[in-house]
Amino acid sequence: MSKNKIKSITITGIRGVREGLNLSPDKKSLLIYGDNGTGKSSITDALEWFYNDSIEHLTGEEVGGKGKNALRNIFLNPSDKAKIEIQYSNKLLDNEKSINNLLKTFNSNSSKEFASYFSKSQSENLILRYKDLVQFIIATKGDKLKHLQNIIGFSQVQELRSLLKLVGGRIARGIKAGGYSNKRSAQQAILLESLGQNITSSKQFFETALKVIAPLKLETEIKSFKDVKTALKSIETNEETKVVEQIAFLNKIADTLTDLEIEINVIHTLYKDHYKSYIALRKDADKINKLQLLALLTEGLKVLKKDIVKDNFCPLCQQEKDKLKLAQELNQRVEGLKEIKAEQDKLSEECEELTKLLRTNYTIISGLLKEKYFADKENEAAKKNIEQIQNSIKVIGEDLKKDIFSTEPLKEFSLVKIDDKEFKVLISNAKVKSKALTDSIKGNIKLQIHTKLSRAFDAYMAHKKLEREEDILTKQQITFEALYTDFIKRQEDALEGFLTMFSDEINSYYTEMNPNEKIEDIKLVPLKDKNDELSGITIEYTFYNERQTPPVALLSESHINCLGLAFFLSSVKAFNKENEFFVLDDVISSFDSIHRTRFIRLLINKFSDYQIILLTHEKDFFDIASSEAKRKNWLITSLSWTAEKGASLETPLVDLKNKIENKFKTKNIDGLGNDIRRYAERQLKQIACNIEAGLAFRFNDRNEERMMNELLSSVQSRVNKQSPTDLKTKNNIDSILASPILIGNKTSHDNTFKENINDLDVFWVDVKKLIKTFYCSEDKCKSFVAMKNFDNVNSKIRCNCGTVNYDWKK
Amino acid sequence: MDDKIKSGKDVINDFFAEIYNIPNADRKTVDALVELYSQEKLSDKNVQNTLDEIVQKEIKQIDKKDE
Repeated sequence: MSKNKIKSITITGIRGVREGLNLSPDKKSLLIYGDNGTGKSSITDALEWFYNDSIEHLTGEEVGGKGKNALRNIFLNPSDKAKIEIQYSNKLLDNEKSINNLLKTFNSNSSKEFASYFSKSQSENLILRYKDLVQFIIATKGDKLKHLQNIIGFSQVQELRSLLKLVGGRIARGIKAGGYSNKRSAQQAILLESLGQNITSSKQFFETALKVIAPLKLETEIKSFKDVKTALKSIETNEETKVVEQIAFLNKIADTLTDLEIEINVIHTLYKDHYKSYIALRKDADKINKLQLLALLTEGLKVLKKDIVKDNFCPLCQQEKDKLKLAQELNQRVEGLKEIKAEQDKLSEECEELTKLLRTNYTIISGLLKEKYFADKENEAAKKNIEQIQNSIKVIGEDLKKDIFSTEPLKEFSLVKIDDKEFKVLISNAKVKSKALTDSIKGNIKLQIHTKLSRAFDAYMAHKKLEREEDILTKQQITFEALYTDFIKRQEDALEGFLTMFSDEINSYYTEMNPNEKIEDIKLVPLKDKNDELSGITIEYTFYNERQTPPVALLSESHINCLGLAFFLSSVKAFNKENEFFVLDDVISSFDSIHRTRFIRLLINKFSDYQIILLTHEKDFFDIASSEAKRKNWLITSLSWTAEKGASLETPLVDLKNKIENKFKTKNIDGLGNDIRRYAERQLKQIACNIEAGLAFRFNDRNEERMMNELLSSVQSRVNKQSPTDLKTKNNIDSILASPILIGNKTSHDNTFKENINDLDVFWVDVKKLIKTFYCSEDKCKSFVAMKNFDNVNSKIRCNCGTVNYDWKK
Repeated sequence: MDDKIKSGKDVINDFFAEIYNIPNADRKTVDALVELYSQEKLSDKNVQNTLDEIVQKEIKQIDKKDE
């Protein structure tokens, strides 16, 4: 299915547009001229809100609500909705989006097709404003990477890459922190104690268990763990239940604390490492200052990117400063702080893992303390000591809440160290008591064997589980490492391929706008950090046969803007899958006339398949663009603004001419004289401009009000002076100046002249004749004679193709 | 230009299509990742929970086997 183009846009009550502003390009490109304040940006704002539900440049804190507070036209009645309706080449997507005075938004199209289109369109490059033109060019290397990855959908790739790395790293650290080897040794110690030997296989365990129960002459076989359980069941006894329970309780204390001792050693190691990095960073006053400054710099960049500061000054020190250079300086400073920021992030990660480990062990102790025998007086001291250990764990956790900027630093290791003597005493006491109790039942061989075998069984199962757990975790770790290695290769290959092609495209657009200049072979180059991780993208180019980077160093503002445009246009071609239109809002402000002409030609020639909505407040560019665009069937119009209507479009000349012709056909003279005068005035402005006829200076807002007689007189004066023997004799300005219709352009009540259809017809014929004198209607030309086509050799003023020409003094 | 560029989605899809050919990768771990991806639930939390579940399941199997 072909991509979407716009058939019509109707905006009501949004920003500077009060009454319905209708653009009906009907899939054609559109060039719109409007002086500052006529509402051009209102069109762009409305479109941006339509697609993004926010307006970036209005999202400063003082406005709030994603720019929606400032969206509604201030003269709009509270009960009226502000709205934009777009009709597309695909009718199924037509939608009216509106917003009421409570800033609630509504979409008229609730179809799945529209939802899908809308969602996909949000990531497309549809609008470029002047303020956004150089964002990519001056962005940090990291931001460039992020930006490109976002638009080619590589943000998901980066997310998956980070996920694989994060999980793999976490498993590795978990294995290390798990202390599996020590924990297995502890279980082996129990086995040694219970069975008198280490156990390395299940077979060995079964054989040993059989030997243990041999004195009971059970005539049973032990070839599986099920057999062990059956044997244990068969020798179970209700005799001396309390003693058995107490032995189990004491063994649990010994076993849990043995495991905990291992965990505490891990915690100590991690704490020492973390403390070392923490203090190293904290002691570095310079780094701390820079980290604190980073927040300010990042915020400053946001302010500049949102274009909240309109003029060239620093919003902080209020000194005059080039905004582009200021943003670039800030970017470089933020970039320079990336490594310190990474150091801070690593500290946070370490702290998080340590906290998790502390929490797990705190919970294990809580579980142990729930044992009912702790309520016995004889166990009070042990309980108290275990609670102290638990409290020490809590203290470390609390201390770790201090960040790098806290007034008090982390406590030294010696101040938080959990004394292992406590453990040893508790474990030893529990073991001694357990042994004493076991000895007390020595006469009861059955009970003794049950106790011994049961403990050995638990220890062996725990040993097996530890072994299995470590094995699975190691497999997971190896898997994630393998997946990560494979994935980064895929990502880097794809990115490299994309950057090569994307660079070629940017290069071609840039050189088209800047031919025969010494900047060549522009390339986007991926960068890696010291860990060989993809960390950013830089722009390289050849300048007088030497490779250079970054672009801002040597290029002029105009060239940087060209680069920004080339980047946007390349993005449009590469990534816009749903839409075949885009909006360029005043993007050529810093271009000189040569770049402007090349730019409009680039759009016309290389983007002929696209529908372009090109807005400008620059009259010179509008004139250049009009003559180029007209030939390619673009629609051309102007915006004006009045307090009553807000922004509105001027009637296109071709429509005005049709209107006049229709009125003659139907003999309708209502307003006909005024229509002819409006038509003539607009053509005369073009003629006057082209032949450089002198007009008295007027400010922009009054310039549009020049009357026809003023324009005629100045054109006549210029023609009489410059072409006394040729054009002077061939024009009919005198006849028009003498026409009573011309006088009728004043609607004053002193004017007694009444227009009739015959007078109007004569006047209209005269106007058309005059225009024809200056205008070449050849298909290939369609232009007025103009000084820009002055023939120096033959001293003639000419149209673009030279068919219409007159003698003209130099 | 656009036809020749691999989008992020292409890179990820290719990776998952060929994930079983990656040497040294554990089948159960990969199965779990593929399952999460196909359900569009591939997040840090979900992956970690699934990996924990695998460990617990495997350990429980020791008990089952032993019975």
